[in-house]
Amino acid sequence: MVSICKRIALHSSRRNTVYLCVRLANTFMDPKELVTGLEKRELLNEEAGKDPDPYGLAIKRGPGTKDKPTLVSSAFDSRIIGCVCDDESSHINWMWLHKGNSTRCECGFWFKLVEKPPL
Amino acid sequence: MTNHMNHTFHMVNQSPWPLIGAMGAMITLTGTIKWFHQYEQTLMSIGMITMIMTTIQWWRDITREGTYQGLHTSKVTKGLRWGMILFITSEVFFFVSFFWAFFHSSLSPTNELGSMWPPTGIQVFNPLQIPLLNTAILLSSGVTITWAHHSILENNYNQGLQGLFMTVILGLYFTALQAYEYMESPFTIADSVYGATFFVATGFHGLHVIIGTTFLITCLMRHLTLHFSSNHHMGFEAAAWYWHFVDVVWLFLYISIYWWGS
Ligand SMILES: [Zn+2]
Repeated sequence: MVSICKRIALHSSRRNTVYLCVRLANTFMDPKELVTGLEKRELLNEEAGKDPDPYGLAIKRGPGTKDKPTLVSSAFDSRIIGCVCDDESSHINWMWLHKGNSTRCECGFWFKLVEKPPL
Repeated sequence: MTNHMNHTFHMVNQSPWPLIGAMGAMITLTGTIKWFHQYEQTLMSIGMITMIMTTIQWWRDITREGTYQGLHTSKVTKGLRWGMILFITSEVFFFVSFFWAFFHSSLSPTNELGSMWPPTGIQVFNPLQIPLLNTAILLSSGVTITWAHHSILENNYNQGLQGLFMTVILGLYFTALQAYEYMESPFTIADSVYGATFFVATGFHGLHVIIGTTFLITCLMRHLTLHFSSNHHMGFEAAAWYWHFVDVVWLFLYISIYWWGS
């Protein structure tokens, strides 16, 4: 019993010390140190003055023929794309794009999925 | 997997909270009706505990996703901001309905009320006493929260903490004064349409002050554990917007119900 009490007391006092250290560091970190994951990637990208759309979500259509399809990158085996078929079009044509063969939109444009490792 | 993708959207994981929260709301509703009819609070308490546990754990998850997993990109944050704006807009219309009821009854008082406002026999609060103090408190809290916001924007940890702490204290002070005023009140919610409109409007406002103070206390605790930085404090901004909303509602309540209505 005594040993258990001693252990609990020791343990909690040690925890307090750790806690105190954290509390002493009560100042803001550099915003870059605080952020993580996708948010950090975005921040670093912005800082480097790179493309404001680091994920390349808006893709310009090239010739779009069967031989020269517009390349769409993805980290996955398939993704959804939206084609604004012509300038007057008032809606977006959504479709699935799978790895392997190219896909043709109703309007005649061809798209092909290319692998791009996650940023 | 969530971090290994080439787009800026947050693909959320499955969460039990929408379902459990909905069940909690249903149990609270049923339990409240049971309380009204049978003076029995057990079911209502179970519902309330479920709701409170849901809100705590749901927002805990969101904090983890945003602060520890970095999933709140600028696009996701934009969505959260719009969500908060639309939520506050719906809250504005919630209060519009109570002001509508108040002006409907007070602008042309019926014969039963003695054709006057405040109605015959109603002894109203002096707007220059506690209500005026409450106005000063809420206006000051608007200043302190702006102070906290600017401190956070300028990476000043200590002043951010002080500003936030003062705002919470002022919020608690307001609630304490309202509770005192309610206890001292010479009329009840059952005393004519005056009591009904007064207590429904000021009561819901008081509830919103309590919710806003809870929101600010959450921000205070997150600030203490270094969750915020000059470019990562969306939760604080949402709390600040909500607090300003509560502040503005009080100004309308003070001007129309306490002052013009007396
Ligand atoms: Zn098309």
